[in-house]
Amino acid sequence: MSILAIDTATQVSSVAVAKERRLLSELTMQGKLTHSETLLPHIESALKMAATAKEDLEGIAISIGPGSFTGLRIGLAAAKAMSYALNIPLVGVSTLKALAYQLPVPGVRLMCLLDAQKGNAYVESYRWEQDELQVVETVRVAKISDIVAAAGKLDEQVILLGDAVQKKIAGKLELPANVRVAMPHLVMPRAACVAMLGQRELAAGHVDNVMDLEPVYIRRSEAEVLWEKRHPEEAKATKPTEEM
Amino acid sequence: MEKKKEELLTLAIESSCDETSAAVLRGGREILSNIISTQIPIHQKFGGVVPEIASRKHIVNIMPVIDECLREAKVELKDIDQVAVTYGPGLVGALLVGVSAAKSLAFSLGKPLIGVNHLEGHIFANFLATPNLEPPFMALVVSGGHTALVDVQGYNRFRMMGQTRDDAAGEAFDKIARVMGLPYPGGPRIDALAKEGNPMAIDFPQALTEKGNYEFSFSGLKSAVLNYINSEKMKGHELNKADIAASFQRSVIEVLVGKAFQAVKEAGRDTLVLAGGVAANSGLEARLREEAEKRGVRFLYPSKILCTDNAAMIGCRGYYQALDGGYSDLYLNAVPGLSLTDK
Repeated sequence: MSILAIDTATQVSSVAVAKERRLLSELTMQGKLTHSETLLPHIESALKMAATAKEDLEGIAISIGPGSFTGLRIGLAAAKAMSYALNIPLVGVSTLKALAYQLPVPGVRLMCLLDAQKGNAYVESYRWEQDELQVVETVRVAKISDIVAAAGKLDEQVILLGDAVQKKIAGKLELPANVRVAMPHLVMPRAACVAMLGQRELAAGHVDNVMDLEPVYIRRSEAEVLWEKRHPEEAKATKPTEEM
Repeated sequence: MEKKKEELLTLAIESSCDETSAAVLRGGREILSNIISTQIPIHQKFGGVVPEIASRKHIVNIMPVIDECLREAKVELKDIDQVAVTYGPGLVGALLVGVSAAKSLAFSLGKPLIGVNHLEGHIFANFLATPNLEPPFMALVVSGGHTALVDVQGYNRFRMMGQTRDDAAGEAFDKIARVMGLPYPGGPRIDALAKEGNPMAIDFPQALTEKGNYEFSFSGLKSAVLNYINSEKMKGHELNKADIAASFQRSVIEVLVGKAFQAVKEAGRDTLVLAGGVAANSGLEARLREEAEKRGVRFLYPSKILCTDNAAMIGCRGYYQALDGGYSDLYLNAVPGLSLTDK
């Protein structure tokens, strides 16, 4: 199965083409241009490098979040339109899980942190068990300094990954003895991981609906949160169920 | 075999603010479908469009709207010849959803992409509304964030007569509506209230009215109305909202009408078209029509549906732009502050 994978959840723009369990091409950049400008040209280049015609693609995997709201929407809009136009299945892959997939290290807690603004991160923890990534702590939003402090109290080795590590932790925070950060070239998301995880999902028959797939935001918009604070009674009556 | 240009099928996408829209046009003027999904009820409780919420709705609505516009047009995606999309002005996060989807569609289909200026789209809505309209003509563009007079000399030749220096007319409408406690969107509410009030009740200022000046400024008028409301409140007077609305609207309309017909005369045009969301204002339309009749000028404006943000007008602009080679490449980006310029 030939698959195209896209990750625009952070400032990294990454696209990959994979066939069966083989990575054919990957274009991963952290540059000055925006995702909006580069994503389609990158998809075009990655397909060309992989000598794969777009008509030969059999699926698309999209890094679905959490992450930058705008970045996620740029990637998802492109993925949806392509899936629709080429009539091929689309599957969303957790941006956090794809990060953990970079480090196949058993016996270690992999903590994935994606920037949630104002010193916060979306954080989820994983461990490899029998060649499978298991979630050991599900996603939540927390202060980055608190996440690092809490990691120091665990009696196991911890490796931190994600754009919050690059921006706010590596070389900036003093780390507890059992905590280290992933190497610079492994710390950011890569579409190759999204491709491998997505391929497995699609092979297992997991397909998302192009008509209504949304990014995983975790957080609601600030305007909604503010409105509910000001209108507590009405908010209770119309409490949305979308929150995770 | 190469298709005749009148047979070209254009798929158009618009997501610059709070409507997600997709349309199919055959040639430049025949609307096969024009689907609009509006978010107005969602933003109402916030008193205005919330950019993040708008973007979240666009990413959910975009594919159903495209799918529906193809079904209604009874056209298969593979038969589409070109993809047109609004790339500005507008809310950046909202624009990016449409731009990203359009680029991906164009790439997947192997068809050309056309990035369209939303404000030019509003002017071109008149070609859809009036099949025999041809350039040259004068266009008065009055939308939420823009007020401008454009001499449309050809399908791809525009001369800017002047535009807004500060607040656009639509912004003044929205702000004053909010201060008077009218629900969003404020423009239509003021228009309705104004019908019940006396337009001569309060003397609000009109700016930049000297001859030959085609620039607009509505910030002074906005401040004058806000000051009036505050001082009435301080005096403990009950506000006559209908009179305020009517007097404010008169000031806006007189400036627009005065400059529009001056421009028509200076450029030697025989036709004036109205364009943009505020074109739905019945007071403005009535005054322009009255003045046009007096002066023997042909006056045109689009139907209500073509005045709102819609993809058909983007498809129409895209079609004529493409005839002149105005295609975009896959690097096309959203430009939230895009303005009208000479072409």
